[in-house]
Amino acid sequence: MANADPKQYVGLATRSKEGPRLATGQGRYTDDFTEPGMLQAVFLRSPHAHARILGVDAQAALSRPDVFAVVTPEDMKRDTKPFRPGRYAAGLKKPVEEYAGAVDKVRYVGEPVGAVAARDRSTAEDVLESITVDYDILPANTDVHQAMAGEDASLIYEELGANLAWQGTLEYGDTEKAFREADRVVRENLKIHRYSSTPLEPLACIASFDRFSKKLTVRTNTQVPENIYDALRDALSLDDIRVIIPDIGGGFGQKIHLIRKYVVIVALLAIKSGRPVKWIEDRNEHMMAAGHACEQHFDVEAAVKNDGTVTGLRFKEIDDVGGSVSTLTIHFTNKLNNLSNTYKVQNIRADGYSVVTNRCPVIPNRGIGKPGMCYIWERIIDRVAQDLDMDPSEVRFQNLVQPEQMPYTTPNGNVYDSGDYPGLLKRALEKVDYPGLKDEQAREREKGRYLGIGVVIGVEPGGRNAARDMAIFPEMKETPGSGGINGATIKLEKNGTIALYLGSPNCGQAHETTTAQVAAGILGVSPDVISTTTPFDSDIAPWGVAAANSGNNFHLYDIGSIIGAATQLREKVLKVAGHILDAQPSDLEIADGVVTVPGFPRRKLTFAELGKVAYNNQALLPEGIDAGLQTTFYYTFPHAQPNMVPGKDGRVRAQFTFGAGAHVAVVQVDPRTGKVEVLRYLIVGDNGTIINPDVVDGQIYGSAAHGIAVALGEGFVYDDEGQLLTITLTDYGKCSTAETPAIEVEHAPSPSAFTPLGQKAAGEGAAIPSPAAIASAVENALEPFGVKVRDLPLTPERVWQLIKEAQA
Amino acid sequence: MKQTVRVTVNGRLYEEEVEPRQLLSYFLRETIGLTGTHIGCIIGECGACTVQVDGTLVKSCLMFAVQANGKEVTTIEGLADGDALHPVQEAFINNYGFQCGYCTPGMIMAADALLKKNPDPSEEEIREGLAGNLCMCTGYMQIVAAVKEAAGQVNNG
Ligand code: FES
Ligand code: FES
Repeated sequence: MANADPKQYVGLATRSKEGPRLATGQGRYTDDFTEPGMLQAVFLRSPHAHARILGVDAQAALSRPDVFAVVTPEDMKRDTKPFRPGRYAAGLKKPVEEYAGAVDKVRYVGEPVGAVAARDRSTAEDVLESITVDYDILPANTDVHQAMAGEDASLIYEELGANLAWQGTLEYGDTEKAFREADRVVRENLKIHRYSSTPLEPLACIASFDRFSKKLTVRTNTQVPENIYDALRDALSLDDIRVIIPDIGGGFGQKIHLIRKYVVIVALLAIKSGRPVKWIEDRNEHMMAAGHACEQHFDVEAAVKNDGTVTGLRFKEIDDVGGSVSTLTIHFTNKLNNLSNTYKVQNIRADGYSVVTNRCPVIPNRGIGKPGMCYIWERIIDRVAQDLDMDPSEVRFQNLVQPEQMPYTTPNGNVYDSGDYPGLLKRALEKVDYPGLKDEQAREREKGRYLGIGVVIGVEPGGRNAARDMAIFPEMKETPGSGGINGATIKLEKNGTIALYLGSPNCGQAHETTTAQVAAGILGVSPDVISTTTPFDSDIAPWGVAAANSGNNFHLYDIGSIIGAATQLREKVLKVAGHILDAQPSDLEIADGVVTVPGFPRRKLTFAELGKVAYNNQALLPEGIDAGLQTTFYYTFPHAQPNMVPGKDGRVRAQFTFGAGAHVAVVQVDPRTGKVEVLRYLIVGDNGTIINPDVVDGQIYGSAAHGIAVALGEGFVYDDEGQLLTITLTDYGKCSTAETPAIEVEHAPSPSAFTPLGQKAAGEGAAIPSPAAIASAVENALEPFGVKVRDLPLTPERVWQLIKEAQA
Repeated sequence: MKQTVRVTVNGRLYEEEVEPRQLLSYFLRETIGLTGTHIGCIIGECGACTVQVDGTLVKSCLMFAVQANGKEVTTIEGLADGDALHPVQEAFINNYGFQCGYCTPGMIMAADALLKKNPDPSEEEIREGLAGNLCMCTGYMQIVAAVKEAAGQVNNG
């Protein structure tokens, strides 16, 4: 077909479509909406980490005229059903019933126990005080090692008989042989702490229920409509559900999982009161109960040849999953996504242990288990280098998958689409003048100034496969689906403008801008005449299992469906225009929204003229073609086989595209205070074909900044009683402009062999290797003290302790 | 007991009956319907609610509406001159100095106040000047670039 060029606007930093709205205060977030008669809800939350609920007395609250509805544990049990176990709880030996709110017990501080809907928020807050809960306080379990030793202080789920709630193994290749034949075995214990991306906009929801049609509508800032849709169906036994998702003030995974609890309870308040009900989470509620990234403990060992080749990796992972079983294995199974990172190793074994504790449940957070997996690899490679007295970058070069091996199948069944890992690493080292930097480090050390260089590399997987978790749960009763499906709708309107409708929500990744760039080239119009309709509305959005602002899905599923829908619309435009202009569709050209017959300047039709025919003038339409100029296309990844559904060998495509990045961190550590200053942070990244460089850079800057902050001190701290000590952003250690280092990015794209534009993901990316880069740099700086970095975060206090411990 | 407040917001006078405990942020968002001022913490930590009161930077969650009585408040909605965006807004758009946009109104109000005080800030001064406004998305790089660009425009223009 003539002159359709999907790449015409690809690679350009076109003007942001969201920008004018967001920079003028015209963004529309959930809290900006009101509904007629709307009530405000607040939650009653557990002050205890672990307690039995003996009774709840809400009589005083219920008898107040300004209170419209109250939900208590009794209501939860009577009026709702427990959630279905879902893909991350499939490994439970005995079923555990989890309701949206606590019923018999509370298992973490902040767990929702009840809720009140009143005319306004302050009334609802006052009323909370009048609800009394009789708790029988139980010993809190906050130590995973105690649970591993079978010394549970008390059982969190009696039905499971232990707080070690799940264990399982993934094995690929022959690790026993690799370790038997190794020249040496390098071992290390590592730990990543609890943290979160703390989106600036807290969780939010407005629910309304039409009691006659039984239709429930929720407007909420979830990243994944399916989670809300399924949760409402399961908990409230409703089928007719509409999920509307307006602008979202940041997601990062925080708005995927536990948000469903609140939406269900707010919906129940709406059903009971017969009024729309709004709920806006407080910051401290968010910190306590909206979910944390998992504290992960790793015992790692690598089988190594004397030339630095790693022939096998074994690790034992203990996850502190908090007071819920619904995300029991999420951090473990996510390691399938980057299990072998950028390396050639063929033999890997992972033993996973999930321990429930009296802390906040864990949830997906930017990369989920992937930063942990990258941490395992990059820390152990550094250890191998130390053991063999090699340069850490040399050991990496020795083990990297080579560009000529692409597409490359990893031992666990991922297929790396393209990439030049040695090239990325080489370029990064060149850019920082690695030998020069090492000389400078040596010179400065003499003067008592401790510089450190951390060099790491990591893959960035993109585009989720819904069947991944069946690799550890082949017996899963309800399959979670497989591959990925998501759609888009494009409409040429009567005035010649183009409206896009996407199948998934977005929370700051410029989907409106980038989809318009791609559609514009295909349709032969300027991106300026294209608008993307928000909010997401499940009633009209063409959404499927991949409709998620999560899993780096956008580049694959949304871009794929936009290309499909735009291509179909173009074909239709040409058919209708060809009929009217009396020309073969294949002879026509489109530019600037005008269809022309080349060589006949007067035979042309504008998109506006076509629009008027398509919607108004049946007589001018060709035979056998539907009226209207609207197309909907559901995309599936055409290269999802092999390994889309795991077989007996557990091999599975966890994700479908693989970008990568080499990171270099240069730090200075003050041994007297333990303070780490990041002097330079460089990323050479492969994000495939870049659609909009400013957007991609923004994703890299943001994800790197977060990974760096996580490594240097951001995080949640609990006391032994399970009380969270970091309930404000300040206590939590959120970084401002003052603490965040400048980040340099250079692009070295290897376009994907599997995607229409060669595009890969950009989103989670730099959050995956950056904690490892900082750990590596700090350790390198403190080499003269003999410091080994095993645990994160590296707060000044912790770094100071490490120096003292090493000197002792 | 409600109290009457007279507050000029973005050049328009509002006379409203408010509860003495109502925060300025809620007054702006709920009483007069200007939802561009956001709330991220309500205790003065995040800066999402930043506005200018008589030209000074204020976190509107740290001020009661009654304290704004007789004062002039500028919010993000009052920065553009009709259809013409303010140079700071324009620079944020040009540099993709936002992602989810939730911090953006407060960030722009803070950047504007910074440039009014210091029309030619160094990178360090920009970073210090915006340290009261948290952004969870961007890593601040493009925000700093936007402020630099806006400074250039303010100077040249
Ligand atoms: S809401 Fe005012 S500073 Fe956070
Ligand atoms: S753009 Fe999302 S918080 Fe700043």
